[in-house]
Amino acid sequence: MDSALIPEGVKRCSPAKFLIFLGVVGAVLLWGVFAMLLCWIKGLNQTNMNDYYGFALWIWADLAVIALGGGAFFTGFLRYIIGKDELKNIINYAVLIGFICYSSALLILAIDIGQPLRGWFIFWHANVHSMLTEVAFCLSCYFGVLTIEYLPLILENRQLDRVPFFHNLSHNMHEIMAVFAATGAFLSFFHQGSLGGVSGVLFGRPFGYREGVFIWPWTFFLFTWSAAACGPCFTILITKITEKVTQKKLVKDNVIELLAKISGWMLATYIIAKILDTWYWASVTAPSKGFWLLDFYSNNPFYGPWILVLEVIICGVLPALILITESGRKSKTALLLAVILAVIGVSLNRWVMVLQVMAVPVMPFDSWYMYFPSWQEIATTVLPVAYGVILIGLSHRYLPIFPQEKELNPID
Amino acid sequence: MNKEHNKAKKFGMVIDLDKCTGCGSCMVACMAENNVPFKADETNKLDSITWMRVYKLTNGKSFPDADFCYLPRPCMHCEGEHGHSPCVSVCPATATDYSHETGIVSQIYTRCFGCRYCMAACPYHARYFNWWDPVWPEGMEKSLNPNVSVRMRGIVEKCSFCYHRYQLAKEKAYYEDRREIEEQEYQTACTQACPAGAITFGDLNNPEHAVHELKKNPNAFRLLERLGTNPKVYYISSREWVRLAGDNYLRQEGKSEKN
Amino acid sequence: MKVSRRTFLSIGSFIVGGAAGTALSPLPWKLTDDLSIWTQNWPWTPKPERGDVSYVNSVCTLCPGGCGLSVRKVNDRAVKIEGMKGHPVNDGGICILGLSGLQLLYGPTRVKTPLKRVGERGQGKFKKISWDEALAEAAEKLGALRAEGKSHTVACISGSAGGTVPQLLKRLLTAYGSPNFMSVPTMQDAYAVTLKQMHGIDACPGFDVENADFVLSFGSGIIEGWGSPVRMFKANSAWQDKKIKVVQIESNKSNTAAKAAKWIPARPGSEGVLALGIAHVMLRDGLYKKEACDGAAGFEDFKKWVADNYAPENIAAATGIQKETVESLAKEFAAAASPIALCGRGQGRTPGSQYEFMAVHALNMLAGNINKAGGVQIIPEPKYIAWTEPELDEIAQKGTASPRIDGAGSETYPHAKSLLNRLPQAILTAEGASPVQALLISEANPCYTLSDTQAVKKAFAKIPFVVSFSSYMDESAQNADIILPNHACLERLEDVPTFAGLSKPVIGLSKPVIKPQFDTKHTGDAVIALAKALGDKIAAAFPWESYEACLKETLGDKWEILNEKCFVAAEENIEAPLQFFTQECKTVSAEGDEKQYPFVLMPYDSIRLANGFIGNTPFLTKTVPDTVLKKNEMLVAVNPKSACGDSLSLKEGRSVMLTTPKGSAKVRVHLSEEIMPGVIAVPRGLGHTAYDKYLAGKGVNCNELIGPAEDAGSGLDAVWGIRAKLSNVSI
Ligand SMILES: Nc1nc2c(c(=O)[nH]1)N[C@H]1C(S)=C(S)[C@@H](COP(=O)(O)OP(=O)(O)OC[C@H]3O[C@@H](n4cnc5c(=O)[nH]c(N)nc54)[C@H](O)[C@@H]3O)O[C@H]1N2
Ligand SMILES: Nc1nc2c(c(=O)[nH]1)N[C@H]1C(S)=C(S)[C@@H](COP(=O)(O)OP(=O)(O)OC[C@H]3O[C@@H](n4cnc5c(=O)[nH]c(N)nc54)[C@H](O)[C@@H]3O)O[C@H]1N2
Ligand code: SF4
Ligand code: SF4
Ligand code: SF4
Ligand code: SF4
Ligand code: SF4
Repeated sequence: MDSALIPEGVKRCSPAKFLIFLGVVGAVLLWGVFAMLLCWIKGLNQTNMNDYYGFALWIWADLAVIALGGGAFFTGFLRYIIGKDELKNIINYAVLIGFICYSSALLILAIDIGQPLRGWFIFWHANVHSMLTEVAFCLSCYFGVLTIEYLPLILENRQLDRVPFFHNLSHNMHEIMAVFAATGAFLSFFHQGSLGGVSGVLFGRPFGYREGVFIWPWTFFLFTWSAAACGPCFTILITKITEKVTQKKLVKDNVIELLAKISGWMLATYIIAKILDTWYWASVTAPSKGFWLLDFYSNNPFYGPWILVLEVIICGVLPALILITESGRKSKTALLLAVILAVIGVSLNRWVMVLQVMAVPVMPFDSWYMYFPSWQEIATTVLPVAYGVILIGLSHRYLPIFPQEKELNPID
Repeated sequence: MNKEHNKAKKFGMVIDLDKCTGCGSCMVACMAENNVPFKADETNKLDSITWMRVYKLTNGKSFPDADFCYLPRPCMHCEGEHGHSPCVSVCPATATDYSHETGIVSQIYTRCFGCRYCMAACPYHARYFNWWDPVWPEGMEKSLNPNVSVRMRGIVEKCSFCYHRYQLAKEKAYYEDRREIEEQEYQTACTQACPAGAITFGDLNNPEHAVHELKKNPNAFRLLERLGTNPKVYYISSREWVRLAGDNYLRQEGKSEKN
Repeated sequence: MKVSRRTFLSIGSFIVGGAAGTALSPLPWKLTDDLSIWTQNWPWTPKPERGDVSYVNSVCTLCPGGCGLSVRKVNDRAVKIEGMKGHPVNDGGICILGLSGLQLLYGPTRVKTPLKRVGERGQGKFKKISWDEALAEAAEKLGALRAEGKSHTVACISGSAGGTVPQLLKRLLTAYGSPNFMSVPTMQDAYAVTLKQMHGIDACPGFDVENADFVLSFGSGIIEGWGSPVRMFKANSAWQDKKIKVVQIESNKSNTAAKAAKWIPARPGSEGVLALGIAHVMLRDGLYKKEACDGAAGFEDFKKWVADNYAPENIAAATGIQKETVESLAKEFAAAASPIALCGRGQGRTPGSQYEFMAVHALNMLAGNINKAGGVQIIPEPKYIAWTEPELDEIAQKGTASPRIDGAGSETYPHAKSLLNRLPQAILTAEGASPVQALLISEANPCYTLSDTQAVKKAFAKIPFVVSFSSYMDESAQNADIILPNHACLERLEDVPTFAGLSKPVIGLSKPVIKPQFDTKHTGDAVIALAKALGDKIAAAFPWESYEACLKETLGDKWEILNEKCFVAAEENIEAPLQFFTQECKTVSAEGDEKQYPFVLMPYDSIRLANGFIGNTPFLTKTVPDTVLKKNEMLVAVNPKSACGDSLSLKEGRSVMLTTPKGSAKVRVHLSEEIMPGVIAVPRGLGHTAYDKYLAGKGVNCNELIGPAEDAGSGLDAVWGIRAKLSNVSI
């Protein structure tokens, strides 16, 4: 039925099976769309956010998704700027995942703000002092870049490619992709950092606040660093999942291992920096504001010290150690464990830097409050996941995402 | 003297906690003056709009040594460093601003797009989001004050130091060909209503205004001074535990460092 | 279906081209802009109309405080209530209820037209009728009763006794032929009886708190709404400025206790005993004002009685207060130049124990502060209403001569003017038909405010005809047969006499700020119309053509000044000879068996909860802390160290059954160190069943859990608490 659209020389599941897949994920997507419409029409009273948790699940999802989408810029940076050529075999997928992550982030932001129809005021009435302004500008620009990076992939579809104009366009875009990759990397360094700055600049919130250089708190650099470290891990993880689902090998081990090795070293250096940051914050910054470390972690049923141990040791030090050792990378289980832990680690970091910042009482007579998202929040957070799965499904089916697929899965 | 007069104004409050009875008049005066909406259930204090909120502080001791004190909390109109109040510098759309002329932190409802970053930035929880459309039961919208616009769903609001009263006072002075307004011409609704006379409002920079002297009281303190928010609301309490409850201290600081 | 390349491409380019074309046109930018402008002007977000601003002075009638108001208007709308500067009661200050008065005025609880009941009693089903129909029906019912010789079975409950409207109601009853005019008793009534017994005169107490230099309060909620609330707030601030010592004797740490220099948590119910313990020390050590007391009637007997029974060491067990505390308290009190002792628990809305009032008043007498600056002023009731006595026809003469249903003024209760608390039992215990055949209710909500509300409602059910004059759909109006709605506060003209403990009573004029919003009628006019309809001598007793004419005539030359501001009743203090007492009254203990009910339940007052005939406004309820009300559930405060048996563990927020001999209710626990162990503090003012969605159904009415306790001395309700238990909620 749709065989004309499927790339040559690869095998895809039957249209029926694919439609069932689309139907199931599409149902989830529709659930999310329904919740999204509720939020837009009825307002944010549909959520369990409140005046204490003004930032909650969605902002976490935004930060996490952008960190995980960091695979795109960092792999691009390695491939086009540093010249790690092997990575051309995974760069398409990294770009696709990045595209999904960033479009999801923008969508979630559009749901999250109280006046979506005024969202553009952030550009029109921009306040240069605000980290969010920086985020908004870089995010939108980088989304544009990702679109440009994703476009030639679409044009490589068998049917589109036959049109000479599209063929040439796609070819020429590939030629100059290095320029976009460089722009993207630059923008990414910035907005990943500004996201880190979002809570880092809150001098009224000692849990989030960090000292730093000029207007940039240390979290600015830590966020970029951790996204560069963990983004590729997410690309690896999604590749592994895709291989599991499609039941075929799509990317050669040496490519994965190279990416894992670089991630490992990024993660290792990041976690050292993170530990230093935590130490300085706990022993200098926070005490100067009247807090000592455990004030941030006790007297509440959820945000215990375990969260710090889990983030830094189990999901930081441990995966870093696995990934920087050759045997760790070579062991399929260890590698998988490491990338999963790294992904959890960076997500947990973003959770803490959003939710715990809100939860820690600052006025001495204030209290800890807990928060659990409403179904509408959960549905709208699942919505981009469903959308991502569908986009991956469509892209994988109709576009030559994995250059090594033909070679690894010859059709006899 | 004359020079002092031409200085920029810095409106602020001094609230005497020894006098404050926790009666809540300030809260309601503010709601009535500023068209603050209400819902059938306002018991979830995490989504209940109270520009002025009266907190109850306790000394943590057991009966009969237990003691408590009320603390009214409007927006502190933080000056931060050079007007970089926590909330103003973070607003991406410049929907809230620090006025160097009055020291008042404004909130522009029609500009705000509801990202709530300012709420995350404010350690005093002085900012409130309009989670719902404001609804007045039929007929009750007659009591709305035309000097203050009603806020729509999806945006943030907070205490304005009754800025419209400043505007009215200035307008009146202008018509009467005066350049300055008198202390009594601009008073906030909460100050005016407080039956205990616990709130004093005025220009902290003006030696002729009562707040100028009051803020120098040895028992005066501000909330969370250590954060560097530089608030313009001062509190006075003769009770040491109350003064200490205004900020965070490490155990080894021995608690008596203040005063 | 197979997608051909051509179709695919043409659809594709159509979409892409269309999108690009639209994006390049001005349309999306214009739309984006328009949409954002639309969000700034949503048609469903109200836009208050601008207009001419004016201020109208008036007087608040939402509580007995009598504050002067200055109401801001924009065109014909009242937009803000503020305190009137320079008013002798509140001088610009205003309480939380007064501030939110516009929510009552414009609120959904107003009764908008005369109503006639169509459903069952209390069901709340009414139909609109015209004023002519309503008045005719009421007059017909009353006329019929009178014709049957049952004029004495008509009763009237009025929120207060003072002022022209209550007096018109009373006059109506008299001319009609009934002695049963009742006002809602408060601590003022207990004080009146006290003054009668201890000075032998009819008078009101005034407290010169502004000039006192030591304040000894026996549970008075000085900043909880006692007396004239705003005036007391101001006094409290003056004390803070002048560093005047306030000692609060109260089992729970109320706001007043927290502001006081010293808090003495005496066992609840033992306050009178403690007062006499202090008297003991003063008498023993000769610390009393000898020139005032020596030779006074009953002084020697009193001295001996107190010496024999109230030594500090002997009362320690009853009060829980150490001997040393009593000794030092007595010495401080006596040493002050102008000390004053206050009583009347909380807001003083229930009269309280005669014994306690007399014991506390004895302290004032011993301190020699009667009619002295900073002391207790003995003031005559303002006498500006001087109408000629109505001429009574035969029926009226007979009717008014019959005994009062509540027993007030009888041999048993000679000093009480009205004993509303005894009415429900009188109706319920009467054999045969109800002794009350018709009841008029004005500015009162007995179905909510009287102790043991269940019994009150049962008694009401036995009254065949109930007329309410309420402006609001309160619980009593809901139980009426006909509602003749009064203009609300700020819509009506009325004199407002304020005693409420002021050293000089103030008469204010509540002036209409806006035109009546609905088809309502001034109760004064309704009463005059009823009298006219009843005819003959009754009509003759009401010669005025309207209430306004009546008021003008009544006030005479004071009308002018009242219209300008208000006037201070200029009567001189009454000379008040001292009369001491011995064992005149007994302490009032909490109802219930101690074994079965290990706790003592004590209602507490808060200025943020209106608990009189006016219910909370939405703004008021909004300020109620979440430690008092959470969703629709009420929290009761309990000390975590309270012993409550093994089967129940006290935990913050836990649901429990609160049971008293009068009833039980599901509540939640709020653990508090401000409460004496063994006491359950229950907020007063919640648990309304009438009014609107902003008030109805929230919490429990504590009056349903406590019964009236008749004071042996006065017959007034002296209940201050009841024994109670907490148990697990059965699932
Ligand atoms: N229906 C209708 N809607 C309109 C218009 C109309 O004609 N009709 N006109 C439109 C136009 S042109 C405009 S400009 C907008 C105006 O709309 P708004 O911006 O809502 O203007 P105002 O209603 O004048 O009220 C502004 C609010 O901000 C407060 N305020 C003003 N300055 C300050 C300040 O410096 N600090 C603080 N803290 N508060 C301040 C005031 O007290 C007031 O409550 O309305 C638009 N909307
Ligand atoms: N008391 C008070 N006065 C105020 C203000 C206030 O808040 N209070 N606000 C001030 C402010 S912010 C503003 S902006 C001004 C607004 O004051 P104005 O500028 O007077 O605004 P409008 O009253 O809206 O009148 C605009 C006119 O333009 C007409 N019009 C509409 N569309 C068009 C069009 O396409 N072409 C032409 N030619 N005419 C059109 C309308 O019919 C209307 O007559 O008022 C100011 N004055
Ligand atoms: S009105 Fe005055 S006394 Fe009452 S709570 Fe507010 S500041 Fe305190
Ligand atoms: S109190 Fe909060 S809202 Fe007010 S100026 Fe300070 S940071 Fe901003
Ligand atoms: S919520 Fe409104 S005022 Fe606050 S930061 Fe966002 S745009 Fe600015
Ligand atoms: S200053 Fe005005 S806006 Fe601020 S709390 Fe007081 S009444 Fe409300
Ligand atoms: S104290 Fe009483 S009279 Fe005064 S404003 Fe409040 S409710 Fe009205």
